[in-house]
Amino acid sequence: MSNNKLVGLTRFKPIELLVPLIVVFVLSITIGLLSASLELAVQFALCNLVMVLALQVFIGNSGVLSFGHGAFAMIGAWVSGMSTASERVKGNALALENLWQPLVGWNFNLYVSIIFAMIAGGLIAAISGAFLMRLNGLAAGIATFAVLGLFYNFFFNNTKLGPGSQALPAVPKFSGVYEPLLLSIIAIILVYCLNVSSIGRKLRATREDLMAAPALGISIQKVRWIAFTLSGALAGLSGGMYVHVAGTWQVQDYYLVFTFLTLAMLVIGGSASMWGAVVGTLVVTAVGQVLLLWEQGKSLLGLKIDLPNGARSLIIAASLVGMLLWRSSGLTNGQEFKLRVRNKL
Amino acid sequence: MQSILDAISLGGTYALAALGLGLVFGVLRLVNFAHAELITISAYIMVVTNDLPLIFSFLLAALTATILAIITELTVYRRLRGTGPAIMLIASFGLSVGLQKSYELIFGALPRSAAVAPWMTGSVQIANLNVTISSLVTVAMTIVILIAMGYLVDYTTLGLQLRAASADFKTARLLGVRSNRLITSSFAISGVLAAFVGFIIVVENPQVEPMFGLNITILALVGIVIGGISTLRGCALGGFIVGFILSLLNTFLGNARVYAYSYLFLAVVIILLVRPGGILSKRNEMERV
Amino acid sequence: MSLLEVENLSAGYGKVDVLFDISFSLMPGKSLGIVGPNGVGKSTLLKTIAGEITPKSGLISLQGQTIAGKKPEDIVRAGLSLVPEGRQIFSGLTVTENLMLGLTGRKDKSTSKIALEQVQQLFPVLISHANHQAGMLSGGQQQQLAISRALLSDPKVLLLDEPSLGLAPTVIMDVFGKLKEIIANKTAVVIVEQRAHLVTSFADETIVIRDGQIQAKLRPEDAKNEELLRKAYFGLGV
Repeated sequence: MSNNKLVGLTRFKPIELLVPLIVVFVLSITIGLLSASLELAVQFALCNLVMVLALQVFIGNSGVLSFGHGAFAMIGAWVSGMSTASERVKGNALALENLWQPLVGWNFNLYVSIIFAMIAGGLIAAISGAFLMRLNGLAAGIATFAVLGLFYNFFFNNTKLGPGSQALPAVPKFSGVYEPLLLSIIAIILVYCLNVSSIGRKLRATREDLMAAPALGISIQKVRWIAFTLSGALAGLSGGMYVHVAGTWQVQDYYLVFTFLTLAMLVIGGSASMWGAVVGTLVVTAVGQVLLLWEQGKSLLGLKIDLPNGARSLIIAASLVGMLLWRSSGLTNGQEFKLRVRNKL
Repeated sequence: MQSILDAISLGGTYALAALGLGLVFGVLRLVNFAHAELITISAYIMVVTNDLPLIFSFLLAALTATILAIITELTVYRRLRGTGPAIMLIASFGLSVGLQKSYELIFGALPRSAAVAPWMTGSVQIANLNVTISSLVTVAMTIVILIAMGYLVDYTTLGLQLRAASADFKTARLLGVRSNRLITSSFAISGVLAAFVGFIIVVENPQVEPMFGLNITILALVGIVIGGISTLRGCALGGFIVGFILSLLNTFLGNARVYAYSYLFLAVVIILLVRPGGILSKRNEMERV
Repeated sequence: MSLLEVENLSAGYGKVDVLFDISFSLMPGKSLGIVGPNGVGKSTLLKTIAGEITPKSGLISLQGQTIAGKKPEDIVRAGLSLVPEGRQIFSGLTVTENLMLGLTGRKDKSTSKIALEQVQQLFPVLISHANHQAGMLSGGQQQQLAISRALLSDPKVLLLDEPSLGLAPTVIMDVFGKLKEIIANKTAVVIVEQRAHLVTSFADETIVIRDGQIQAKLRPEDAKNEELLRKAYFGLGV
């Protein structure tokens, strides 16, 4: 492909980008129109999708685990939520009575606030990544947990900068599926381009052989840091989206359950490709919705299974482990979307 | 004085937790999040069998934890050998959540509690100082267990095989070390250690709920990384340091004590900046994982 | 009856085959050399026989018993021991601890003490450095430790992967001298080596592997024949 716009993207295949976009677009629009609760489910799913994409671009390419991205989502959500919640509420809500005064008047347009959310996420990722990326893969993964724990503990207890353990009310919501859908589409394109770019390739080189990469002139730390920062920005975006779907900011929303769920989506779909992120989010969301119906005692297409509360997470956890046992490269087997299987490898 | 004792006591507890994690990591390169659930099940069993004499209650807990540990090894981890530390870590994460939810289904989401070992509450006078019995017992117990573990590792055949396998699993097998047996033994021992940790915690905090062992496990994991993940001594030391610092922070931060975890994590990050391979490692040494 | 029999062995890593159709047999008390260009699969061959790698196809039997596809720890107990490339001693453990580990694969533990004394006689450095950390030993000493360790499992067949790697010429001579003694004690030996001259003149028979297959079989007399060696190595029609 000789197309001046795409110079530098050597493995770009349009179909690999188009199909996921179309799938996400069509599913979001059709399902989102079916009912109000499904619209909400789709909105949340799109937030999760962006987070899973953020995880994919870092974990999938570098092979380094991160449990800390929830912190970047937390920060992004805080920035976007705080700066769009109504001034009246910020000044008067009980949960916010200790709020630092300047924050009360802090106000941005919703989309501007989301951009700031991305910047905030990226910034915190850049700072923490500056030292986290010096650590080897395993220690970095554990250390990212420390970052998550740090932010969680801080926001949970701090009432000057936020509502502490309570919820920040009156955050404006998206009007429908279209806004989060648009943002997700941007995220998909970004992640795909990153994956096929030279940064993506260099990163994957470090994943394959820690010794050979520097010999090729690749600075492992630098390349990981760049990817970490970008994925932090995307996580920030995810948080920024989440807060406008939920209409509130609560620190627990970005902690362990969120971390587990998005990681499960990534692994089940396949961490090595953008398509894996999309498939994983789709499948886990769909299965989760069905299980939710059954947990609530409802029937789906005539089928009704009585599930006790909590069984849903158990099943998702079991699926995660099961997928790893069956095929550790996930449902997509580490591939981007392919039209047909050309050779049976 | 009490604060120092408390700090040592908490440090020792965390050291035991870290040791359990380190054992399994050494032979399998597995970071076992599900270790938390071994601690939790021990606590549940002790609470549920509290009418039995303490020793039986504990033995039952230890047996359960050990069996559970071995089951997780046989069903999940054995099949994932050779897939790499990242996959095994995520699997352990999934296993951990799965077990938590199972506990929720079995024991209910609300906390179960019972006064385990009530003789451990209260305090005694030693040399004009008032010290709590529980901290004394905990310190004594952890010292004994750590010495026993040290003996096991340094002077027994099993310990020698563990050390060899941790350093170079392939070569150990070439010399005849039975890999499956060794790994299963590590899990079994880690189960017993988890039971001790569960016991110590449940005495102080008798409310057992599905996420009971999560906190200490996460912190112990952080501990083994800062202590030096490649040796058992490093793991125990790292765990001790985390527990010790946490206890001191809780005591001396006063009103700001809610931020103890934040300070702790910050301290951890700084330690890792200076010594990426852990405290016991040489400067800039990185484990090849 | 042959001690070690390899028939039509094919092995490799993942989807890539490295060795094709390898066959040879080894008699008790004999030595076999394996030479060939770099990366041709000599190490792979030894690792496959020792159980570290599972063969794709073919047979490996030790004293008539199949060992192909068995676990390394079981193959050691059956009487075959590998001294891996690079020695792979446990540098954090003492010399004695390393030796103790060698006893793990020994079937008859009652003769452990005698065996220990025997290797210590063969390699006195084991006595003088008994409590030193193995990582402190020189290359040659580590090699001696690695060989002793493997001998302690009482193998009928000893495999050595590049024993001369990184060693000074005098040290190599010393090690090979000791190997002669080991062979004299009825242990059959298979040596993979880079130094074609060395091993061809040493072993009863030497096979040359090139392109994943056995291309030639050499006798000790052939070691002086430069032309023959070169042809075998580079495949210019042998």
